[in-house]
Amino acid sequence: MRAVKVIERMLITVPIMFGVAVVVFLFMRLTPGDPVDIMMGQGGAVGVGEMERLRSEFHLDEPLHVQLWLFLKDAVRGDLGYSYTQKRPVSELIAQRLPATIELAAGALFFALLLAIPIGIVSAVRQRSLLDQFSMAGAFLGVSMPAFWLGIILILLFSVRLHWLPVQGRLTFGVSLEYVTGFYVLDSILTRNGPALVSSLKHLVLPSVSLGAAVAAIVARVLRSSMVEILRQDYITLARAKGQVEFLVVMKHALRNALIPTVTVVGLQIGTLLGGNMIVETVFSWPGLGRMVVKAIFERDFPLVQGSVMVYAFTFVLANLVVDVLYTYLDPKIEL
Amino acid sequence: MLATKKTLLACVSLITLLALLAACGPTPEPQVVKETVIVAGTPEVVEKEVTKVVTEQVEVEKVVTPTAPPGRDVIIVGLSAAPDTLDPADHRNRQSETVVRNMFDGLVTRDSTSGVHLELAEEINWLDDVTLEVKLREGVLFHDGVEMTADDVVFTFERIILENMIEYPEAHTSPRKGLIAPLESIEKTGDYTVVMHFSAAWPVAMQMLVHQQIVPKHYLEEVGTEGFVAQPIGTGPFKFVSATGLDEIVMERFDDYSGGAPDLEPVGPACVRQAVFKVIPEASTRVAALLAGEVDIIQGVPAELVDTLAQTPGVQVKGAAGTQPKWMEMNVNMAPFDDVLVRQAMNYAVDKELIIEAIYGGRAVALPGTLSPYNNYVNKSLEPYAYDPDQALALLADAGWTDSDGDGTLDKDGQPFSFTIDTLEDFRPLAEAVAGQFRAIGIDAGVRFWEYSVVKPMLQAGERQAYLDDWGDSAFDPVGHFEAKWHGFVEGEPYGRGNFSGYNNERVNELIKLGEITVATDERQALYDEAQQLVYDEAPAVFLVLPEEAEAARADILNWTPASDSRINLHDVCIAP
Amino acid sequence: MDATTTAQNAIARMAYVWRIRLRLLRGNLGDFWIQLRSRPLALLGGIVVVLYILAAIFAEQIVPHDATLSDLRLRLIPPAWQEGGDLSYLLGTDDQGRDLLSRIIVGARVSLLVGLLSVGISVAVGTALGALAGYYRGFLDQALSRFADLLLAFPFLIFAIGMMAFLGPGFWNLILALTFKGWVEFFRLVRGEMLAEKPKEYVEAAKVVGQSHPAIIASEILPNIIQSVFVLGTLRMGFMIIMEASLSFLGLGIQPPTPAWGSMVASGRDYMLTSWWMSTLPGIAILILVLSINLFGEGLRDILDPRLKVE
Repeated sequence: MRAVKVIERMLITVPIMFGVAVVVFLFMRLTPGDPVDIMMGQGGAVGVGEMERLRSEFHLDEPLHVQLWLFLKDAVRGDLGYSYTQKRPVSELIAQRLPATIELAAGALFFALLLAIPIGIVSAVRQRSLLDQFSMAGAFLGVSMPAFWLGIILILLFSVRLHWLPVQGRLTFGVSLEYVTGFYVLDSILTRNGPALVSSLKHLVLPSVSLGAAVAAIVARVLRSSMVEILRQDYITLARAKGQVEFLVVMKHALRNALIPTVTVVGLQIGTLLGGNMIVETVFSWPGLGRMVVKAIFERDFPLVQGSVMVYAFTFVLANLVVDVLYTYLDPKIEL
Repeated sequence: MLATKKTLLACVSLITLLALLAACGPTPEPQVVKETVIVAGTPEVVEKEVTKVVTEQVEVEKVVTPTAPPGRDVIIVGLSAAPDTLDPADHRNRQSETVVRNMFDGLVTRDSTSGVHLELAEEINWLDDVTLEVKLREGVLFHDGVEMTADDVVFTFERIILENMIEYPEAHTSPRKGLIAPLESIEKTGDYTVVMHFSAAWPVAMQMLVHQQIVPKHYLEEVGTEGFVAQPIGTGPFKFVSATGLDEIVMERFDDYSGGAPDLEPVGPACVRQAVFKVIPEASTRVAALLAGEVDIIQGVPAELVDTLAQTPGVQVKGAAGTQPKWMEMNVNMAPFDDVLVRQAMNYAVDKELIIEAIYGGRAVALPGTLSPYNNYVNKSLEPYAYDPDQALALLADAGWTDSDGDGTLDKDGQPFSFTIDTLEDFRPLAEAVAGQFRAIGIDAGVRFWEYSVVKPMLQAGERQAYLDDWGDSAFDPVGHFEAKWHGFVEGEPYGRGNFSGYNNERVNELIKLGEITVATDERQALYDEAQQLVYDEAPAVFLVLPEEAEAARADILNWTPASDSRINLHDVCIAP
Repeated sequence: MDATTTAQNAIARMAYVWRIRLRLLRGNLGDFWIQLRSRPLALLGGIVVVLYILAAIFAEQIVPHDATLSDLRLRLIPPAWQEGGDLSYLLGTDDQGRDLLSRIIVGARVSLLVGLLSVGISVAVGTALGALAGYYRGFLDQALSRFADLLLAFPFLIFAIGMMAFLGPGFWNLILALTFKGWVEFFRLVRGEMLAEKPKEYVEAAKVVGQSHPAIIASEILPNIIQSVFVLGTLRMGFMIIMEASLSFLGLGIQPPTPAWGSMVASGRDYMLTSWWMSTLPGIAILILVLSINLFGEGLRDILDPRLKVE
C-alpha cells in the first residue's frame, strides 16, 4: 500500500517539474538583457553580423514558442542544452558541481543537528532556566545574521588570525584524492585516504557552520517546543512515576515523539540548505551549483539557469518526498 | 525578577562576545619573524622589468604560518572568476585568456604594458597594406612533442575565421572571429611561412594578434574539440595536468618549452614546477587566502585593500597601469546635459585628485579626456579638467542654473538640478564619491545600481540621464574603444555599441572611420588628436580616473609583474628559496 | 415591526457584540501582558523592537549628522573608543566619510520597512487567498495550491535574484521580489487552518443563522486563526530583513544614498581587514533587531498559540 502511495506522490512531481521548466524559461526570456550582447563584453571589436550569427546559433532569433518547444522537447529526453559561455553540456556542468553543493548541505545539516538536538533537549528539560535562555538566545543568533557576514567573520577569526582552518576550496592543493563519487569526504573514506579526509573535513567546517547556523536555530526551536509539550503528557508522568531514570524518560519516550515534527521542519529546511547556499559558496569559494547559477543569471546564460533551477526544484521535491516517507515510519498513524 | 536579570545578562554577554569576536577578528596580527631574504634571482631580469609599472618596495619578511606552505616549486594563483573554457578559440572572455596564455603561445605576445613582441613568429612583414607575411620559428614543440609548423597556424586561424569550424557541443563559429574580423584568408607558403590577407588596411593588427593563440592541428583533428578542451595541448610554458570543473586548473612545467618571446627575459622553461589556478570570486576571501598562505598570487585586489596589503608584512602589492578608464557619461540629448556648458561644469566640479587619494590610495591617474594616458594614441596636449568649483558654478550660471530660492540646490525655471547617476555595483565607491562632490556644489545627485544587462538597453535608447562605468582599451589602441564609445550608434555594427551618452558628432565619426584604415602612425595620431580634442571640448562625459590594476603576492614570489592586459605570466615567476 | 426598529435592533445587537469583544480584548491584553512579563526574553525583544521603531520614526531628530552627507576627507575614522577616533563620530565614518551612527539610525527605517512591508503584503495576499481556497475548495483551491507548490519548488534566494533581474533595482521592486514567494507560506497556513475550522460547530451555526459566506470567513473564522498568522508573520520578518542583506551582498539591494544595513554590511566587507566597524556595526544592528524580533515572536507563539509548532 505504501509503495503505491510513494509512486503516486512521485507522479505528482511530473507536473510540478513541467511547471518549473515553463516558468523558468519564460522568466529568463522576459528578463531584460541580451546574452549575446553581454558575451561580447567591452574589449576588442565586434564584427558586422557577428551578434546575429550568435543569436541564431542559440536559437534566440526564433519566436518564443518555438524556443520553448525546442527546450521542452530536448529536456524531456534529458538534454538540457549547452552553456552559452562555457560551451559545455549543461548536464555535465551540473553533474560536476552538484556533489559539492550536496556535500555542503549535508555538512551544514550535520552541524545544525549536532547543535540543535542537545540545545533543544536541554532547554526543554530545564525550561526557563538560565541555560535554556542562554542556549535559545544562542540558537537564535544563528538565524539573525546574514550568512555572508558570519562567513567573513569566521574566516578572519579562524583562518587569517588563528590559522586553524582553511579559507577556501574543498581540498588543500597537493593532497591527492581519487574521485569516486565527487563527495570528497566520502571519496577519501572509500579510498582509505587519511590526509584527504582530514583536509576535506577541515575545508567543510566553516562553510557548514555559516550555512547551518540558521537551520540550527529553527530546528532547536521546534524540538524544544515539541519536547516541552510532550514532557507534560500523561505517559511521561507515568514513566517517571514508575521510577524510571529521568535521562531515559527524556531520551527514550520524549525525544522519539518530539522528533516527528522536527523531521518535517528539517525536510523543509533541506530546500533552504540546497538553494540558499550560493552566498556561502561565494564567500568560501565552494565550487557548487549556487555560485554557478548566480553567475549564469547575471550572464543570461539561459540553458545553464534553466537546467540548474530544474535540478534545484527536483531535489527539493524529492527531499520532501523522502521526508514524507520517513514521517510515516516515525508515526505509523500518519498516511502519505 | 531574578529571571529577567539573568536573561538580560545572558543576552548582553552573548552580544558582547560577538562584538568582541568581530572587533578583534579583523585586525591581522600575524606572527612575524624577521628574516632577511636576498631579493635574489637574476639581476638582469630586474633590469629588464618594464618601467611603466609601479612597483611597491616591500620589506621582505616571512610570515610563519602553521599551515604548511605549498611545495616550494608550486605556485597557486587566486583568480577572481573562472575562465569560460581552455580552448583559446572558443571564448570571448578576458579571464580565459589570463589562464590560457600560460599553456598557449601566440605569434606575438605583449609585455606587461603595451609593447608587442614576437613569440612564435620569427619575423613579421607587411608585404603591402593588406598582406602580412609571417615567418615561424623552427623547432617549437607542442606539449606532445610534435613540432609546430605553418599547418598549425593556418589551421588555428581558419578555425577562427571560417564558419562553424568548432563542432562541439554543437557546430558553431568561433566567438573570437570578431577580434580579427578583417582577416579574410590565410595560406601556407612554406613549412614555416604563412601569409595573411586582410580585407582592408588594419593598423591595429599587431596588438590584436596577441589575442590569438596557436593550437595543434594534428591533435585537434584526432581528438576533436571535446577531447581538446578536456586535455588541451599548446606550445606554452606549462602543460595541462587536470582541472576540477574550471575552478581549479593544474599545470606542469613544459621542459621542452621554446622559451617564449626571445627579446623578453627570461627565456627558457618556466621556473616553477607546477602552476595552479584557483577560483576565489569574493575579494575579501581572496585576500584572506593570501594572508593565510593558501595562495601565492591574487588577482583583482580591490582598491580599498591595496594600502592594507601593501603595509602587511609578508605580502607585496603591485599595480599595472590600468586599461579601464572610468567616466560618467551624460545624456547629451536630454536636459540638463544637452547644454555643453553644463557638461563642462560637471567636469570642473569633480575633485579627481581627492578621489584618487581617498578611494584609490593614490593608485590611479586622472583621465586627460577620453583615452587612457597609456594609450598609444593619446592626445598629449590634453590636460585633465582641473578641479575648479567656482568655474563650474560660473558655467552653470551661464547656462541658467543658479540657486535662486536659496535652498542650497541649483535651479532653473523653478526646476531643481536633480539627477541620478546610474552605475554598477562594482563602481559603488567611485559613484558615491562623485555624487557627493556634485551635491557639494548644489546639484542633487543620486546613485542607482543596476545590472549591466538591464540598464544597457535603456542607455542605448537614451532613456537615462547619466551613467558611470568604464570601457576597456587593453589593445592600447583607439580601435575597439573609440568607435564603441564616441561614434554615433549604428544598429548591427560595432559603431556606438557602447555609446551611452547619445553623442554623435559627424566629424568625430569621420575621424574614427579614417583612423581604422590609416596605417601611417603620424597620420593616425593627427586624426585621433583631433577626435580627442573634439570629445574633450564637447564633454559628453565627466572624465574621471584610470585606476591601476592591483595584484598581490606573497613576498617570496620573485620576478612577478602584473600585466596591463590581465595576463598572469607564470613563466617568469620564481619562488625565493 | 417597521424598518426603523429593525435597524435599531441591528445596531443594538452590533453594539452589544462589540462591547463583549472589547471586554474580551481588554481581558486578553491584560492576560497577554502578564504572560509576557513572565517571559523576559520575549519582553526584552519587544522592548528592543519598539526602540528600533522609535529610532526609525524619529531618525531625523536624533541623528548627530546628515546620514547621506559625504566628505572624503573624513573617511574611515574609527569609532570614538579606538585610537584615532573622534567623539563627534561615535561609531566612526564609512569609506565616503559619512557618520556611521547616523547611517545606522536612518538604516533602521529601511530594514524595518522591508520587514514590515514584505511580511505585511505576504500576509494580506496569503491570508486572503488561503481563506478563499480553504473555504470554497474546488477549482480555485486546486489552482492556487498547485501554483503554491510550484513556487515552493524554487529556492527563495534564486527566485528573488531572478525577480530583481527581471524587475530592475528599486525599493518597491525589492518588496515585490520578496513578496512574490513570501505569501505562499501564509497561504498554506491559512488554508490548512481553514480546512480545520470549517467543519466546526460555530461555523455551522453561523450558516444556519443565515450569514453570508464572506461574512462567515471574515468575521467568524479569520479571527480564530489570525493569531497563528501573526506569530508566523513575526518570525518571517527577521528572515526578510536577512534576505534584503543577502541581496545587497549580490548587488541587488537597496539603492544609495538611502542607508540600508544590508548594503552597508555588504559594501563594508572589503574593509573588514582595515576598518572593521564599517561592516561589523551595521551587522550587529541587524543581528540585534532580528534577534529581538525572533525572541518576541517566539514569546508570542508561546502565549497566543501553543499549537503552532511547525512553521
